[in-house]
Amino acid sequence: MREPHIVVCMKVVPKAEEIQVDPETLLLKREGARSEINPPDMNALEVALRLKDARGAHVTVLSMGPPFFEPILRMALAMGADDLHLLSDRAFAGADTLATTYTLARGIEKLGDVGLILCGEESADGATGQVPAGIAAWLDLPQVTLINSLEFEKGLRALRARREIGGGYTIQRVHLPAVVSIKTAANEPRFMDFRRKPWAMEQAEVVVWDRASIDADPAYIGLRGSPTVVVGLREAESRERRQERLDGPPEQIAHQLAEILRPLLTE
Amino acid sequence: MPEPVYGRDEARPEIWVYLERKNGQLEGISRELLAKGRELADQAGWCLAGLLPGQGRAPAEEAIAHGADRIYWLDHPWLDRFDAGLCTAAVEHVILEHRPCVLLCGATPDGRDLAGRLAVRLRTGLNADCTNLSLDAERGALISEVTGFGGGVIALLEIPEARPQISTVRPGVFRPGLPAEDRQGEVVRVYVELEESQRCVEVLEEHLGESVDLTQAEVLLCGGRGVEGDFGMLRELADLLGGEIGATRPPVDEGFIERERQVGQTGVVCRPKVAIACGISGAFHFIVGIQEAGTILAINSDPQAPIFEYADYGAVGDAHQIIRALIRELKQEREGAHA
Amino acid sequence: MGEAPEDAGRAPIELDEAAAERLLELTSGEAAPCFQCGVCTAVCPWSRVHHEPFSIRGLIRKLQLGILEEDELPWLCTDCRQCEAYCPRGVHVPAVIRALRQMLWERREVLPGLPSVLWSLVWNGNPLSQPPSQRAAWAEGLELEAFDAGRHEVLLFIGCTSSYDRRAQRVARALARVLRAGGVPFGILGNEEPCCGETVLRLGHRPYFEEIAAMNASLFAARDVERMVTLCPHCLDVFKHEYPRIEAGFEVQHYTEFLANLLEEGRLEVGRRSDQRLTFHDPCLLGRGNGIYDPPRALIQAVAGRLLEMAESREEALCCGGGGGRMWMETPPEERFAELRVKEAARIGAERIVTACPTCIACLEDSLGARRGEAMDVIDVAELLAENLGAG
Repeated sequence: MREPHIVVCMKVVPKAEEIQVDPETLLLKREGARSEINPPDMNALEVALRLKDARGAHVTVLSMGPPFFEPILRMALAMGADDLHLLSDRAFAGADTLATTYTLARGIEKLGDVGLILCGEESADGATGQVPAGIAAWLDLPQVTLINSLEFEKGLRALRARREIGGGYTIQRVHLPAVVSIKTAANEPRFMDFRRKPWAMEQAEVVVWDRASIDADPAYIGLRGSPTVVVGLREAESRERRQERLDGPPEQIAHQLAEILRPLLTE
Repeated sequence: MPEPVYGRDEARPEIWVYLERKNGQLEGISRELLAKGRELADQAGWCLAGLLPGQGRAPAEEAIAHGADRIYWLDHPWLDRFDAGLCTAAVEHVILEHRPCVLLCGATPDGRDLAGRLAVRLRTGLNADCTNLSLDAERGALISEVTGFGGGVIALLEIPEARPQISTVRPGVFRPGLPAEDRQGEVVRVYVELEESQRCVEVLEEHLGESVDLTQAEVLLCGGRGVEGDFGMLRELADLLGGEIGATRPPVDEGFIERERQVGQTGVVCRPKVAIACGISGAFHFIVGIQEAGTILAINSDPQAPIFEYADYGAVGDAHQIIRALIRELKQEREGAHA
Repeated sequence: MGEAPEDAGRAPIELDEAAAERLLELTSGEAAPCFQCGVCTAVCPWSRVHHEPFSIRGLIRKLQLGILEEDELPWLCTDCRQCEAYCPRGVHVPAVIRALRQMLWERREVLPGLPSVLWSLVWNGNPLSQPPSQRAAWAEGLELEAFDAGRHEVLLFIGCTSSYDRRAQRVARALARVLRAGGVPFGILGNEEPCCGETVLRLGHRPYFEEIAAMNASLFAARDVERMVTLCPHCLDVFKHEYPRIEAGFEVQHYTEFLANLLEEGRLEVGRRSDQRLTFHDPCLLGRGNGIYDPPRALIQAVAGRLLEMAESREEALCCGGGGGRMWMETPPEERFAELRVKEAARIGAERIVTACPTCIACLEDSLGARRGEAMDVIDVAELLAENLGAG
């Protein structure tokens, strides 16, 4: 039986606490902000690598982003992924979910012969959580989301996905190929294999595809391909805690606590 | 931009809400979206409609009581349990027939699955996890407010050309209104056509509520040494707040509560909307377990306790007394509300 | 010679030759001289608290043969070095255990939670999952200077724990105040301070540690660091013994050594008070690891006049239980060494346990906290000095 080809969509995000908004241009100031691989994508990669450990698989990491993503995503190769494809083109910039998922879908089609597409549940910067569904729609594939673990069925025509939700869980059977999103923190991503690392960081060839390479319609990509526009942007009040003190006897404090809690709670 | 399937000029001045149901009733998020939808519709003089998949008509009536003018009831057994592919196909069909200007979905597991897939099918825009919505009726524009970068940045988004304008909203952002039983509305039963070939996902097993999953809790009440083992009291408060209980290591070590509920670096790391730390000094290996919480409240008898530096609101005092007083207050509030 | 009845029915033991060879490689044959006397097992603190005897002797023998048992044993070692102090063949036991841990990393058989600690180092530059941009937050308001080799006598190296842990931050602030009072021109690296990498080394990931050490050695060379004073004995230990000799090329001391010299030279004035009953807990990496027993005592005695000594102090000091990467692992309360230490301090009538390591402080305070009604507290030497600055 041939090895399944698993594609893991990953991205690099700036560290949340280091992002600033330029008040003049209303653009995000990313320079100087340290980066990390979107943590939920690490959980998705770990799922792929476990499948590879269990029964063999070819794991491709696919990412849409600028060139500086490359050295960071090479760490995924050090963890055990087999190759890295970067979709990089000025024209991809400014993409909203529609354009991003379109671009990734074209990249997946270009890769060809894909049995399973894994994504993190959401991204630490945009946090739309809509990329997995969007990719599934462009490729007209089944989708299941918020999955904790999965295994292939013999014959590779379907997989079984476990979703833990609401204190319980479900097991779903999904026809392949399919798109699966992995629940954030569903597993602990393995550390890099340092015997593999030199190859991963230096010798491994990273394939970079631009718009033409993946045959992407210019009207569907980047800012041009995005139905959504940003009309305003500002920094939220910092995550510094308020450190407000509540005073008085227990009843008074309790009353103040109730006042604070009321707007925060769901019905 | 890809040609949207329908654009601004063809859209009807209507706000649609995708409704989710559970045990014969509407989910809280649906009631919240209906309330907000009603508010926006009234401001603009627009119509508010709901999309209800699955068998069972009762939630449709409930939605009307909560403000919907019309409900499109997608009455089909295959839509009883959410399936992204099937639901998208059914909803897409109705939307293309009636072309609403706005579609609101909950940013729930199902809502996100539907919205993400539907937006691509309709070649339209999707603004996810919105923290606020407003409507410019003249332009027919929905303005969505979203936060990004872990809450550090707030953006205002619009979808100028494509329709419907889809936004997803998290539970708890908007408040539900009170149902008005005398409200009138129309329930339109929609004929849904689905094919076997569209069924690609099958639920083989379903197990409900077996283990404790603190990471799902919106409200997390943590007890430390200062609670002196009285987790029964914390349980009472947690029930009133609709939350879960966690603990620091000392009470777990002493056997007052099970280890699965230990919160912190070597326990569970959670991101609740609200975290309340009772009788917890605030050692950072615990803090790591709740540092991403939306709001942190702390109660500790030691004014020097480090926890206060990590809290939004801190109360110095005896945890027992304060919590008991809070329980009393919340119970009274409840009884008052029913009166 | 037939099989003893108890052995009949036991499965044959698997010898993993590949493992034995790999371990030989990783340890450079360090375990070879062991002749199985068992002193290590006898002196290891674990035998006093563990529900089963922790046989280091047995573990070493198994390593020599290539018998691997996946369980908690390789992870129990706190790097207290009591065993190697007693070993008649001079086997560096903790180093052998680290080599075993390194092999477990290669086989991906490490305890859950440990990969995340290493990832935290990759993304945050510290093992505590704390934001890199907040590393110098402890120094807010103190107006400390960024290290400049031209102006500063020493680089004060704080370490991750004291930079981020609220309790340990108090030690950092106290130390900064004391150095100032002593008129020492010093600077800090602030947000640029890297992690020394000790956690990675002790958890057994030698290759990653070497990467960190090489990077840091370049950083120190680029900043022309010639003299460094560390707050933490763990940082001291790796800088002194594990960093590459040639590139590193700086002199490093623990702050107690540095301050004890200042005291002797008359550059540091502390007030004396005789009302406190103090004892000193020797951190393993300060004492047994680096032979620094007298300087902290000299500093304490400058304040207190006299010092109570616990049984098992100095070369015999009982470990707090936090070393060897144990801070990242769970220890059941009845197995915590610090409990024994705290009991001992109470037995001799000490009111305060003074120590000189942020890990020891955390473990001792944890165990103290569990004893209700105990009036004792734990304090760092720097904090004691800061409380009593100025002429007596």
